This record gives sequence, C-alpha cells and structure tokens, in this order.
Amino acid sequence: MTRSVPDRLLSFFSWACALSLISALFIIIGFLVLKGYKALTPELIFGDVRPLDALLLKRQVFGGLFPAMAGTFFLILLSMALALPLGLASGIYLAEFAPSGTKRVLSFLFDILSGIPSIVVGLFGFSITIFLHHYFGGRIFPCLLISALSLAFLVLPYIIRTTQIALESLPLSLRLTAPALGATKARNIFYVLLPSSLSGIISGLILAMGRCAEDTAVIMLTGAVATAGIPKSVFSGFEALPFYIYYMASEYSGPPELMKAYGAALILLILCTVLFVFSHGIKHLLRAKTQYLPNPL
Amino acid sequence: MKNSNCVVKLAVLLMMVLVPAFCLAGDLDAFKGEKQGLKISGGTAHIPVMEEAAKRIMSFNPDIQITIAGGGSGAGIKQVGEGLVDIGNSGRKATDEEIAKYGLVTHMWAIDGVAPVVNPKNKVKALSKEQLQDIYAGKITGWKDLGGEDRAINIYTRDESSGTREVFWEKALNKGEISGKANVVASNGAMKSGVANDPYAIGYMSVGYLDESVAPVVLDTVTPSIATVKSGEYKVSRGLYSNTKGEAAGLVKAFIDYLSSPEGRKIVMEKGFIPAD
Amino acid sequence: MDFQDRVFRTVFFGASVLSAGVTVAVLGFMILLSLPVLKMGFLWEVLTSPWSPGRGQFGILPMMAGTLALAFLSLLVSLPVSLGCAFFMEILHPRGAGALLKKLVHFMTAVPTVIYGFVGVFLLVPLVQEFFAYGSGMCILSASLMLGLVISPTLILFFSESFSRVPQHYLNAVDSLGGTVFQKLRHVILPQAWPGMLTGMVLAFGRAMGDTLIALMISGNAVLMPSSLLDSTRTLTAHIALIFAADFDSTEFKILFISGIVLYAMTSLGILFARYFHKRALS
Repeated sequence: MTRSVPDRLLSFFSWACALSLISALFIIIGFLVLKGYKALTPELIFGDVRPLDALLLKRQVFGGLFPAMAGTFFLILLSMALALPLGLASGIYLAEFAPSGTKRVLSFLFDILSGIPSIVVGLFGFSITIFLHHYFGGRIFPCLLISALSLAFLVLPYIIRTTQIALESLPLSLRLTAPALGATKARNIFYVLLPSSLSGIISGLILAMGRCAEDTAVIMLTGAVATAGIPKSVFSGFEALPFYIYYMASEYSGPPELMKAYGAALILLILCTVLFVFSHGIKHLLRAKTQYLPNPL
Repeated sequence: MKNSNCVVKLAVLLMMVLVPAFCLAGDLDAFKGEKQGLKISGGTAHIPVMEEAAKRIMSFNPDIQITIAGGGSGAGIKQVGEGLVDIGNSGRKATDEEIAKYGLVTHMWAIDGVAPVVNPKNKVKALSKEQLQDIYAGKITGWKDLGGEDRAINIYTRDESSGTREVFWEKALNKGEISGKANVVASNGAMKSGVANDPYAIGYMSVGYLDESVAPVVLDTVTPSIATVKSGEYKVSRGLYSNTKGEAAGLVKAFIDYLSSPEGRKIVMEKGFIPAD
Repeated sequence: MDFQDRVFRTVFFGASVLSAGVTVAVLGFMILLSLPVLKMGFLWEVLTSPWSPGRGQFGILPMMAGTLALAFLSLLVSLPVSLGCAFFMEILHPRGAGALLKKLVHFMTAVPTVIYGFVGVFLLVPLVQEFFAYGSGMCILSASLMLGLVISPTLILFFSESFSRVPQHYLNAVDSLGGTVFQKLRHVILPQAWPGMLTGMVLAFGRAMGDTLIALMISGNAVLMPSSLLDSTRTLTAHIALIFAADFDSTEFKILFISGIVLYAMTSLGILFARYFHKRALS
C-alpha cells in the first residue's frame, strides 16, 4: 500500500506524540524508582521503633513515615464516610427521581463544584474553621475532621457523577422488570438498580479515594502539619503523605531526609497505583459477572 | 519471714523501675501525667528545636500529642493571638501593638542571627552592606560586577510573614527595597535547599541553619556565625521567641520551661543556636 | 407513589440540596469574608494594581496574569501532544498499541500532582537552569512544561472520546472515496469532533488554572508580571498557599478571599463554556 506524504507525516507525528508522552511518564516514574528504591526499608516507615510496637501504638514513631501514612489512611476513611452517603443519595436522586428542571439546576451546580480549585475548597474549609472557632468558644481548630470535611466536598461531585452515570446507563429492560412485577420504586432501586450498577459506583468510589490520598492543597490549609505523630482524635492536627512530600521537597535538612522524601513519593505512587488497579479490576470483574447473570434478582 | 522477703523483693523491683525513670527523666518530669495536645506553629527557624523537644517529650509520655507547623513568625503571632494554637513562635519580637492587641506574653529562649548566604561554588563570599543592599534592590544584577562569574544574580527572599525577612530587611538592608524579581520561598529550610541547588543564588537565613551545603557571606568583614553573634560582632542578630496568649499554664508552661532547662538548652545548642540567659 | 417512596425521595432530595448547597456556600463564605475589602471600595484597585504590602498596595493583577499565562502555556504545550496521542489511539491503532496507550493515559490521571511537582523540583528545574544558563530554573517554562503533562490526560481522553463519537459511516464514506487518512482527519474527524474537543480544552484550561502544587513548587513565586519564559511567576493558587499563613485581620489576608472569588469565577466560567460546547457536541 502506498501512502501519501501527509499520511506518513501524520503517522510519524502520532507516533512521536505517543512516544514522548510515554517517555515523559516513564522518566518521572523511573527517576523516582531509581532514586528512591533504596529508601524502601522498614526504617523508612517505622524509624527505630519495632514495626509491631508502632502498629499497636505502643510507641510513637519519630523519623519514620508511619504517622504520615496513618494520617492519610484516617483522612481517606473519614472523608469517604462523610462524602459517601451524601454523594450516593444525590446521585440516586439525580438519576431516578429528579424532574428535568431540578435536574438541570442541580447538575449545573455539581459541575461548578467539580471545577472549584482544591485550594479554594481548602480556603473554604479554613474559613469554616475560623467561623466555628469564634462561635464555639475557641474549641475548634484546623484538624483532621475539617480536612476530611473539605476533602469530602472536593470528591462529592465525582461520587455523584459516577453514581448517576452508573444508574442511568442501565438498560431499560432491567429498569422496568421489577416495577412491572409490582415492586415499589425504592425496592427497585435498592434490590435491582444499585446492585446492577455496583461496579461503576465502586470503581468511582475508589478513584475518589485516590483523590483524597493525593490532594495536598486542601489539607495544607485545613490542618496538615509538619510533625504530629499519630492523630489521637479527629480534632487534632495530623501528618499526611502528600503534604510530607511537598514539605520535604523544600525543607529537607540533608541527604537522609531527602531520601525519605523520595521514599514517601514512591509509597504514595504505589498507593495510588494500587487504588487505580483495584478500581479498574472491579469494573471489569463485576461487569463480567453482571453480564453473565442476566437477571440479578 | 516469707512475707518480709516478698516485701524486700517488691521494694527492689519498685526501685528498679522508679530509680532509672527518675534518673533519666529529670527535666522531663513536668510532663508526667499530662494527657493533652499541644499545638505549636509559626517561626520556621524554631522548628528543629521544637521537633527535638517534642520527640523527647512524646517519647517520655506517649499520652501527649504535640503538633508543629511552620507558617512564619507573622502566622505564629496571629494564630496564637486568635487562639488557634497554644504556642506561636516568632523570629522577631512581637510588636507592642501585637502584644497589646492579643495580650501576648513573649518568652525568648535562644539568640540567633540572620546570615546572607550563597552557593558554596560561588567565588563571591564577601560583600559590603551597600553591595548587599544594591543586590536586593536590583541595582547590581550580575555576579561579574562583584568579581564572580558572568551570570545573573538569582535573588531569593521570604514571604511577608517571615520574621527572618523582617530582621534581615531592618538590620542588613537598612529597610531598603527588595526587588520584585526575587524568588519567594516559605521557610528557612526552603531557603537553604533553594540556595544549595542554585549556584548563582543569594539568600538569607537563620544562622542556626548554616551547614556545608551553603556558604555564609562575610558582611563588612564579619563572618556570620554563632560565635560572632554571641560576641556581638555580627550585628544582624535576633532572639527566637515562643509567644503565648496570657501567662502560660499547664502543659504549655511545662514546654516553655523545658526549653530553658539544662536539657532544653543542650538541644538549642545542638541545633546551632545560643541559649538565652 | 407510596409512602416509602415519598420518604426516600425526600431524603434523597435533601441530600442533593445539601450537596448543591456546598457550591453556593463556598462562594457565599468567600464573599462574606471579603466584604470588608469590598466595602472599602477598592475592589477595582485590587484587581488592577501590583502587590507590595510594604507600600500598601494589595493588587492581585500579577497573580492573575501569572495564572492565565501558566494555564495558557501549559495548554499550548499539551495540545499538540494530546492531539497526536488521541489520534494514535482512536484512528491509527485502535487496538494493540493504542489500547495500551489509553490504559497508560488513564493511569496518569491517578498519579498524584505532588509527585509531578516533586520530580519537577529535582529533575526538571536543574535541567532547565543548566540548559538556559539563566535564572534559578524555577520559572514559567518549567512550570508550564510540567503542568502541560499534568493536564494532558484530560485533553487526550476528551479528544479520543470526541473522535470515537464521529459516526462510523462518515469514515467509511471517506475510505470508499479513496480518501487518505489525512483527508479523513482534516475534513471529517476534526470538524465533527470539534465541539467535544473544545469542551476538553476548556476543562483542561480550568484544571491548569486551579492547580496549586506545580505552580507553588516550581514556578519560583516572584510577584512579577510575566514577561519572559525564564522569569519566575506567582499564580493565584500559589499566592493563597503562601499568604494563607499571615495575619487574619490584615488586608493581605482578606485579599485572599478576593483571590479565591476570582479563581472561582474563572473556573466557573470555564465550566459554563465547557457545558455549552458539550451540549453542542451531543446535538
């Protein structure tokens, strides 16, 4: 097959673009791995404390990433706990109940919410803190709870959107079977529609968890600090992996601390990769299952 | 007989537990039985000392949780004033206005200097005050004019909240202008890594932060160092303060007292500062 | 509708209103907190003057310019590469290599921004400094290269989706007329996919404007009207992160909320455009 000159140029251009994107990604990951893999030791996480003692909270870890990892863990847990009910309910409302006018207004507002820069959400979280601080006799400070709440606002539109899309993309036949047999709308949603769209919803949720794990701008304004140890309550300051990486990128006191920052970056990258793979895996696994079982009832 | 044997054994056991605890603890005794959190923020020069003190206190009594954040002196003063933190650190003395407005009590526990720094690779390692002022004002723009390489000078400065900036601006620049082209960094640590990675940089930072990764600039024939700050030869010096809203009490007081205890003073010295008297 | 259904509908509606309320509350809070500044009547001054608190000037114009410059340049960096990649995986190699590329692009969306920033500080910045033998390497160029990489997955995925929405029979028609791939791209795919591509570009631009970490870590943060690629600049987002720590009562601090409102307005405007183009793409 002879190809015209523009076609060849086009093919060359596309190959060049694809390769440069891939190489950029691989340079970034390769750089981190090459520089940081040596840091991946138990000491990186637990410092000079025995891992079991640290995990059982018998001893505080200093000089290890354990507090930052615990902070990120609690942060994800808490913000998902806050965002999940609200996001699911809103997504279900949009997909199943909302009259078209209401739907238009709501989805417009959720679109705007999804576009708000995270630092602005952080600023909002901080102003809430100041507000509460003044009205609750100075007992509320920037803390884990406030950070989690702000992160929940940040991921809310993701959860709403994935829930809505997962529900709306169900086939009409599936949607109508249960009501035709006399099921109420609520029963139809909880016993038919939600279970069948579970894959989409869960994979969206996991991506939202990744967002909570990686966001730095929100937490640097709402309670992440340089040193805190394991947070003792939701009202205390906390350390977090992304904040640690940001902080250490400029604050490192010498090569050992810089190595720890590389190690932290690798761990965060691994965490986000695992979440990503999980999300995709669940999507494919459950999709295969629901296709195999034509009737999920 | 058996009974008294038991008592002796018990006493020995008790001694074995208690005596080392007392011997080791000493200055940390005040933290026994405390169960609260302590929030510290502000001055970034203070952070190494704060972290070491926190580490020792939290190891001694794991029930205490101390959180440490940066932000700069301005932030420290305002946050403690607003009651958002228990201790607000500053690398400058709080102004009379700030003290009156928030009812602050200041505690100076170390003396520090602010040193101009360049990259160790830079040939230019001595400047007059006028030259320094001209560099920061943007009047001298190349290292060549100062006997260095033919490269532009990259100026680094701190944000407005910084006490280090305030002291440097007042005492080294004589309140002269700071060029808008200057790169802005948010802490002493960031200043050090910035200058250490940029062969054509000039910046300024806490004397306690000086190490081999940056070179202090001899200013009007005086080398900034702990020794020259102590002797009074190097004039760009300042105190490191921890501020509280009202008189410190409880855990806050214990922490501030600890900084001036023999063990605290040792930490201050180890981190490169001069313990205040 | 039976009772149970009505209860659920009310609960779900309540949740939606609450969630939507966040959107309004963010704006409301910021307006409330910047009211003192707005009342003092120097909003115009804030939007048009330079930043120099020492001289009583609190303008955010340089930061607005920095934000726009960085977002625009990163889009410029990312656009051709993204176009090529989308074309690669939708038209040239829809299976095999293209599918693999698509997986990688999806993965890129999951890579934390702070990691791009971190590698930017320790790999890109020294390279830029060495290569141009000027400045600190913390400059508009470094930041927009890295930011371009961060927003490219958004662009690529939108482009590839718009390409795939071009009806197959249009493409078959070109093939049967003996048209080349280039002609197919120029006369069918690009005109057809254009509204969808615009949606992606607007959204990517919004992402670039809203990003904090890349700008904060590698653009140098000097308050300066951007004039050269090798100059340092400060974006609104980085400005918020840097000044945030200051005094709550000060004018500097109140100006932060104005910066927040400006960012909110700019990204919302972007969303409006994106929705408009998206609707056109679907019709």
